Amino acid sequence: MDVVNQLQRQFIDYSASLHREGFLDDQFTQLQKLQDDNSPDFVVEVASLFFEDCEKLINNMARALEQQQGVDFKQVDASVHQLKGSSSSIGAMRVKDVCIAFRSFCEAQNREG
Amino acid sequence: RKRQLLTEIVLRNRLTALVVDADTTCRVLEQLLLRSYGVQTQGVDNGRDAVTLIASGVKFNLIIIDMILPILNGLEATRQIRDMGVHCKMLGVTACSGESERQAFLAAGVDVFIEKPLDPEHLVPILRELDG
Repeated sequence: MDVVNQLQRQFIDYSASLHREGFLDDQFTQLQKLQDDNSPDFVVEVASLFFEDCEKLINNMARALEQQQGVDFKQVDASVHQLKGSSSSIGAMRVKDVCIAFRSFCEAQNREG
Repeated sequence: RKRQLLTEIVLRNRLTALVVDADTTCRVLEQLLLRSYGVQTQGVDNGRDAVTLIASGVKFNLIIIDMILPILNGLEATRQIRDMGVHCKMLGVTACSGESERQAFLAAGVDVFIEKPLDPEHLVPILRELDG
């Protein structure tokens, strides 16, 4: 039971620090509350879905940005836009904020940015 | 205050909703959020399937629809659904945040424009209204 308590404390501390450092926002807290006996693995499952989606989108962006002939910023922007939507839905605040900044680079056609 | 909102109402499966979003994370989250209030939900990932489903006669109290969708986009899907004479509450829930996007979505026929994420603060009053 001691180990369980210890792990629980670690988890709470880690969650708190992620919130403090701006990685997660209130939306994530709301999602954690949706987890109950009917859906005990809800947070893990949704986070996994999010990471899968992230990987696809980031690969799309990388491919578009690597184009030697000229970057299709519209394509990059579309992926960033989708990432902004899903990261805000899951409460990944810092990812969402990066997306917002990223989009202004796309508008300015700034590849270095 | 926010903690209260999540458990403020339970609708006991009286309401039904359709979630139209191409992004799996968003669609799953929005459906789960609705279900936590006792709303029965269906989800589709493109505009054409949404229109087809509604055209087949399935009734929903609420439609949550994103703006950017494959095959048929959210604006056009919304227009087509309204043109069918469907008057249910439609929420445009999108990552788009500009005033012109907002106007365009409202003009297409959504009742409310909500910038993602869809959260209880926006949803609960709407569910209350639908529940009567």
